[in-house]
Amino acid sequence: MPEGAPQDSAMAEISEAPTTSDPPNTKLEEDFDPKTMRKTKPGLKRLFLTLTVFISFVIALPFLLKSIEIYRAPLPFEDIDLLSTEMEKNLLLFPCQFQAVFVNFDDITAVNELGLLINSHMQKLTSENTPACGTCGNNFTVAVTIDSNSNCIHRESGSVNGKWQCGVLNGFDKLNDHDEAFDEYLASVLDSKNRKVYTVVVVNTKQEDVRVIVGKHRHAWIAGKVSVEKAVEKMAEIFIKVFVNGGNEEGSIRGEFMPVGADGKVVLSFSLLNSDPHDWVYDWDFKELDEILLAPVVDALKPVADISVESQVLYHTPKSSYSYWDDTQGSYIFSTKDLPFFVNSNEWHLDTSTAAGGRSKVLHFVLYVPSAKECPLKLQLPNREISMTNGFISPMWGGIIVWNPPACVENFQMQDLSRHKISSEDLKMISEVFMGQLRQLFGLKSDSLYVGRFATSVLLTSEKGFAEWELDVLSRHHTCFNLLQCGTTLGSLSRLVQSLPRMIIMDEIGKQVKYSLEAAKLSLGNVSLGYSDASAVSSRKARALAEDAFYHPSMMSVSYYSFEHCFAVYSPFFLPVSLHVLLAVIREWKRYKVENRKYLAWKVKLE
Amino acid sequence: MVRLRSILLFLVLFESFGSIIAEEEEQIEQFSEALLLRPLPDRKVLAHFHFESKVPPTRTHGSHHHLFPKSIYQLVHKFRVREMELSFTQGRWNYGRWGGYDPISSRNAKPPGVELWATFDVPQHQVDTSWRNLTHALSGLFCASINFLESSTAYSAPLWSFKSFAANIRYGTLPREAVCTENLTPWLKLLPCRDKAGLSALMDRPSIYRGFYHSQRLHLVSNEFDLAAASSGMVLAQTLTVVLQPVTLGSGMTSSVGSIQQPSWSLSSLFGRKVSGSCVLSNASNVYVQLEPNLVSELKTISETQQQSDIENLISQAWSDMSFEMSHSAVREIKEVYGFQKESSLLYEFSLANFSDSRPFDLEFRWKRPVTWSSQLAPLQASRFLMGSGNERGAIAISLKSVGRSGYAKSSVNEEGRCSLRVDVFQVVPWYVKVYYHTLKVFLDERLHSLADVIERTNVSPSEDKVSPGLIEIALRLPCDVHSVILTLEFDKGFLHIDEYPPDANQGFDIPSALIRFPEIKTKMHLFEDKSACKSPILSKLQEESPVLWYTEVLLVPLTTPDFSMPYNVITITCTVFALYFGSLLNALRRRVEEEERLLKTTKASGLIGVLLSKLSTKLRGKPLEPPSSSSSSSSKVSYKLILRVILVAGIAAAWQYFFG
Repeated sequence: MPEGAPQDSAMAEISEAPTTSDPPNTKLEEDFDPKTMRKTKPGLKRLFLTLTVFISFVIALPFLLKSIEIYRAPLPFEDIDLLSTEMEKNLLLFPCQFQAVFVNFDDITAVNELGLLINSHMQKLTSENTPACGTCGNNFTVAVTIDSNSNCIHRESGSVNGKWQCGVLNGFDKLNDHDEAFDEYLASVLDSKNRKVYTVVVVNTKQEDVRVIVGKHRHAWIAGKVSVEKAVEKMAEIFIKVFVNGGNEEGSIRGEFMPVGADGKVVLSFSLLNSDPHDWVYDWDFKELDEILLAPVVDALKPVADISVESQVLYHTPKSSYSYWDDTQGSYIFSTKDLPFFVNSNEWHLDTSTAAGGRSKVLHFVLYVPSAKECPLKLQLPNREISMTNGFISPMWGGIIVWNPPACVENFQMQDLSRHKISSEDLKMISEVFMGQLRQLFGLKSDSLYVGRFATSVLLTSEKGFAEWELDVLSRHHTCFNLLQCGTTLGSLSRLVQSLPRMIIMDEIGKQVKYSLEAAKLSLGNVSLGYSDASAVSSRKARALAEDAFYHPSMMSVSYYSFEHCFAVYSPFFLPVSLHVLLAVIREWKRYKVENRKYLAWKVKLE
Repeated sequence: MVRLRSILLFLVLFESFGSIIAEEEEQIEQFSEALLLRPLPDRKVLAHFHFESKVPPTRTHGSHHHLFPKSIYQLVHKFRVREMELSFTQGRWNYGRWGGYDPISSRNAKPPGVELWATFDVPQHQVDTSWRNLTHALSGLFCASINFLESSTAYSAPLWSFKSFAANIRYGTLPREAVCTENLTPWLKLLPCRDKAGLSALMDRPSIYRGFYHSQRLHLVSNEFDLAAASSGMVLAQTLTVVLQPVTLGSGMTSSVGSIQQPSWSLSSLFGRKVSGSCVLSNASNVYVQLEPNLVSELKTISETQQQSDIENLISQAWSDMSFEMSHSAVREIKEVYGFQKESSLLYEFSLANFSDSRPFDLEFRWKRPVTWSSQLAPLQASRFLMGSGNERGAIAISLKSVGRSGYAKSSVNEEGRCSLRVDVFQVVPWYVKVYYHTLKVFLDERLHSLADVIERTNVSPSEDKVSPGLIEIALRLPCDVHSVILTLEFDKGFLHIDEYPPDANQGFDIPSALIRFPEIKTKMHLFEDKSACKSPILSKLQEESPVLWYTEVLLVPLTTPDFSMPYNVITITCTVFALYFGSLLNALRRRVEEEERLLKTTKASGLIGVLLSKLSTKLRGKPLEPPSSSSSSSSKVSYKLILRVILVAGIAAAWQYFFG
């Protein structure tokens, strides 16, 4: 056929030629100028042919592009942007419920006014500084109860369901001697283990000194001879500063940084470092530490993080900073400015744990036993005082305690190389310091006093290490941190994906992003409804899915199918062919126009 | 009689008491270190470090350890490892010169690169998953590419030839893995003293990597998960075996003609360092100097010939005093008690307990007279080579040559009274070497022998393309008087997909070492037992019975390597051909032959391209070219048009660069 085709066209031309050359009229023949005129209609055959080829190419082009398209799962970019902007702009504010109880205030009955007064005090406190993520903001309700011998008045607000039963404190006279007992009694009365209502009870007694005590659960009490105005001020402060903000002051670790891995796991890795085993070798009874002291904490923190504990003993691990002998202290001193160099990452093989697979967070807790030539070793604070705990923390990394063995204080001469055990009293002390460090790492206060503007409150310490209201604070912060993290991770994912237009995106990533967004939305919804536990769970899920999508193996691998590659493969065929086709179309079109003009000119002449 | 009974009773009681004591001792973590030095016949010195950590089972001892490495403990628990051995080796053990019969060579001579095998305590269907996870974990732990053993084409499951009575075993090797300090550092990290104190402080990196052979090994045995058996917890043995060439100490002795003067050496000349005391955490840290049986007998005969005169007062010490001296006197001298006429090896023990920084331990070994001897060899010497040429097919041949000493096989006389020798061959071949197992031929003393007579047992699992490697296990029963055995197997070379070629494909592909095992010939040191001897783990290890092993060479098979730019070339040339065809077809379709000829006649030049086209067409048709007489005006118009076009194209290119560049 290709052989025949040109001949056919030639034939057509020839067959038309005689008609042109055939003179119909001699008069017209003189006017006929073959350069500008023609007698026959120009043929459309070639034009049609080239156009057909051209159009078919144009039609086929989308199919080709479709066939060489790389697979990119559709990602909901708008939703991601929405989430990240929402997380940046609107801080996550949880609805909180408070309850104020005034006991033995006979002279007041104006419950509603009292409620408004407390409310206004709290508003003032919250507006002092911008609300942090994971707090209540102005999204709270206050219920007030006045419980006196004569009357029992309630002011309901919002959906506070549990009421204070009047008269339960009558005859309870252990108010001052046994805080713990009173705490437990209040807990049983208020059922504050299960109800998420923060209660402050003001008990008007004859005592002059006013005591403010925050219990282990979700309540506090003020006892003493106190006026209503003072009580209201103190109450508002406890509500906002302690129950909502977790007793945090400015300068402590921001609650947004939670040392929890993306999969919700934390590994507490305890290491005992004998810096020079030639001097002495110490061992600890870690089993005791683990079972008696750490197990309750692990249990208590379960809603926030899944914690596992491991331990090791390392030897030949000198610190890498310097210390100097101080005669007045009778010890070697290292100061706070040496702390960044204390951890000797070359020789401290603390190791990431094999057990902590995936993206769990490892928190190192190091007990450093100095060698004889730097013993006793003490930490000097910036105010030139010696640190009580002799330890420090490094946020998101862990904590270090320097423990001076008794041998070095007693100017001990090395007589045997046997293994010494750290005594269980020392171990208890060490574990308490570790506990304080853990609390600090989670962004809580490590001492049991809260000094506020209006009151100094005593925080009762729980044997679990964390009080209920502290766990609430942690859980709120954790939810907030997870959602923030989820938002930023998804945001960077979408930016990355959009900046690499030829990167393959697997379906799985699309699914993970979708589920992560769904979980984040669910979590946000639960927050606004006040279901904090459910929102914590779904926020953790959202973050884990977002991280899964971002660190998906197919994203990490070289799956970038570059445009250059595509061009190099297809251009040898399509570049010359498309040139041919285009030129042919242009030529034919031009020619047709010229010939048609000629024909028209002839026609005009004819008429 | 009564007295005898009471004595017996007492003995039984004592025994049980002793065992209680022993159990008590078992219940604590233990760590020990030892170094064994042995002069080799070819003027080299073998240094064998042995570190062993023992931990009682978790059930009784809990999961907190003060010596045992945390990472290994977690590894065992996470992947339920029952036994595992990982070795990193550089260089090949010279079986012919350094010996192939003693426990050290059969246990510590390893194939080049990485070898890993493990048995798991998991159900059958989970073994592969555990193996994959283990390879990844080890890869991270030892900074090596052990994770390449994850793919099912890289590991296999030997049934009986690699290790008798082992279920759920997986075995894999990486012959090309380079071994260097980055693998040694994590290995040292598992030791409580690392290389800060004790014997490991000797490991000066330049010295040990300069050696002729370097093999670092990690062997882990755990029966944590056996609930029934009296569990002994975990034992982690780490060994480093190096063969070093001592820098000759400046001794005044000149070698006598004919015999080779052995070089004298010291720890500082071998390693460039001295030992400053033991690791305080180790229960025992000893240095041993071992003299091979042949060397001992050689030295004895030399001294006997020299001291013909007074044979009577030849005390045991005299011969050794005459031949060599050591700078420190040995704490103990351990003699091997073995058979009747057989010579036994000799171990000198040095304890590091009394040495410190101020008084470092630097053992010096000085030869007093030239001596030559040879090491004990395995009953058959194995080597493996490739036959055939070209890129299509070839054959693997494994040759076993008798060393001419049939003494080893004496014990393995079967019921019919014929002396025979069993040899197990274990060979893994990658899938792209397609072995035809039916072509297995056995030549005994260069004569073809029928397989049924020689082969006792075989197990073949053929390779599956891109899925699993081929595995062949053959148990041979050979007559003792055989001189040479050759096994040949033919294979075809497969083709790989372009993605499957490694970065340096032209180098060729490795076939991992075959393992020749003599299961009936066990080797161990028969040391004279006294109570203190069994305390040292290296000695108890040397006294353990193990079959004699021989790893053959790694074979390099060149496969057809494609030109990796070929796909692009093919694409380009095909596309060009298609484009030419298409273009000419299109041109032919819209050609007007008549008109063109008419136009040519009227000498109307239609631009430069037209001229060229007409030129070409006339050329093609074989007609003489009629020169077009283009007017000057048209030519200027043409050049103007041309410039316009060039500008247009340049503009498009610039726009392209701007928008897509």
